Amino acid sequence: MIEAHDLSRRFGDFTAVDGVSFRAADHEILGMLGPNGAGKTTTIRMITGFLPPTAGRVTVAGHDLFESPTEVRRHLGYLPENVALYPEMRVEEYLGYRAHLEGLAGGEVRIAVGEAVERCLLVEVRHQIIGTLSKGYRQRVGLATAILHRPGVLVLDEPTVGLDPKQIISIRELIRELGRERTLLLSTHILPEVELLCDRVIIIDRGRIAAEGTPESLRQSWVGNPGLRVTLKDAPPAAPAALEQLTGVIAVRAGAGGPGSFVLECDRAADPREQVFRAAVEHGWVLLELALERPSLEDVFVRLTTREHAGEAEGGPAPPAAPGAHGANPADPAHPAHPAHPSNTATERPDQEEVPS
Amino acid sequence: MRALNATFQRELRAYFVSPLAYLVMTFFLVYNGFTFGAVISYLNDPRAPGTDRPMDSIFQGFFFWVLLLFLATVLTMRLISEELRSGSIEVLMTAPITEAQVVVGKYLAALTFYCALWAPTVAYCLIISHYSRVDWGPIAGGYFGIFCLGAFFLSIGVLFSALTRSQLLAAIMTFAVLAILFVVGLLENLFNNELAKQTLGYVDLYGHMEEFHKGIVDSRHLIYYASAICFFLFLASRALADRKWR
Repeated sequence: MIEAHDLSRRFGDFTAVDGVSFRAADHEILGMLGPNGAGKTTTIRMITGFLPPTAGRVTVAGHDLFESPTEVRRHLGYLPENVALYPEMRVEEYLGYRAHLEGLAGGEVRIAVGEAVERCLLVEVRHQIIGTLSKGYRQRVGLATAILHRPGVLVLDEPTVGLDPKQIISIRELIRELGRERTLLLSTHILPEVELLCDRVIIIDRGRIAAEGTPESLRQSWVGNPGLRVTLKDAPPAAPAALEQLTGVIAVRAGAGGPGSFVLECDRAADPREQVFRAAVEHGWVLLELALERPSLEDVFVRLTTREHAGEAEGGPAPPAAPGAHGANPADPAHPAHPAHPSNTATERPDQEEVPS
Repeated sequence: MRALNATFQRELRAYFVSPLAYLVMTFFLVYNGFTFGAVISYLNDPRAPGTDRPMDSIFQGFFFWVLLLFLATVLTMRLISEELRSGSIEVLMTAPITEAQVVVGKYLAALTFYCALWAPTVAYCLIISHYSRVDWGPIAGGYFGIFCLGAFFLSIGVLFSALTRSQLLAAIMTFAVLAILFVVGLLENLFNNELAKQTLGYVDLYGHMEEFHKGIVDSRHLIYYASAICFFLFLASRALADRKWR
């Protein structure tokens, strides 16, 4: 279990983290989402005890970080954002050293190292010198270090950065498996990862928690209505008006696919696909495409982070650009006018890795 | 204790797998071997006056001091600054180990390597003892002095290594401070003022070494070294802890 109460961290005049509170329960994977520079790593460093907070309290596995820091460190496994290892050591030698640091001895060390090597798929490089390993393997050695002493709480800062798609899949599987056994705090800016892995999500922006909840509840409370993409061949001018008449359709906008393409904004509960089909048959339209698009977590993310930046653009240090924020409409989440296009936003983001699993 | 031991062993092993260590070892033996050769040829000269302390120039000459300053600098510059530079300090300090344990573990590794460097020079004494009578007291005293001075110098090196993420900067600062410490002691002879003379005499490393090499172990010197070592290692562990607050 991790409990953070009102954590704040200032660097000189700059407030990196401002009053962040959250709780990660046992057997829960809590995702921490935010644009680059939002304060994710600072928050994580405060939880792991590397960086003392300016204000606030942290409890890990029932131990207060300030009263018993060594006890907290014993129960905590940590994979930092930049995995720095000793390049001159061999993989097993390094893990053995880490096991001794964690207080294991004798036979325990051998068992713990063997288990970590197996779980993190390091068997084939176990005798290799770390300096000669690829980035993916180094990342996995870092992960093996974090789970070596079987900590009850795991904190992973961007665990899949720099891995190839196949490695990402295997690491995600491992993370899911690890999350079943313990508390896991996962920081990432890769949205599909959050939807795939996390039970709950907190979105951090400019040092504050902007939203919190399950991926599903966030989607519902922060993003507007689902959109229905309709493409007609040689659409007559009367088509938009006819579509707007259908039950469950709130508004009709032009879509991205040319003159015959429309996006119908639908009622949250409604699914007017059948009506669209019947209307097409009735009017003799040729229906080329019909797809219901549920708003993704990405829309939540873009909406939340864009709103904050739009509201506080003047003064202070230059805010780091939110990934994908360009091209998105800053809108008031209370009255969402039109949901952003999930497909459009996804293609606009080069840093996004979309991996089927 | 287990964590300290793990750090110590890792650091010691790191010395023996780095090319720098072998460079230092080679240089050290060539340097001392050359000095020893010079001593032997000097003693073999029938016109040379006899001496009670044939190892004098190995333990005391100009070459000895240059070597000592150089060794302390090279052996410590990497210790903590490399961790700060690479970022491995983050995983190290989130393990259940204290700053003091890290500092002491690394310091002891450096000291052990330093002692291992000097160990082969015992062979010189054995060679001399084979051909002539040797008074072992001053030799043991000399080695003890080398140990004390080395321990003292290395603690300063560890402190500067904890202060910067640049090895080069750590080396330069260490060398400068060691050189100043050494020179300050020599100023003793330049003062007529009794108080200044006495004060500087306490920190006169050259004088300390001279006494050690006569076989005199003065407890005042030992207290000076021990307290200085504790002081510098304490500062180093504070510096390491303090990095977190920036």
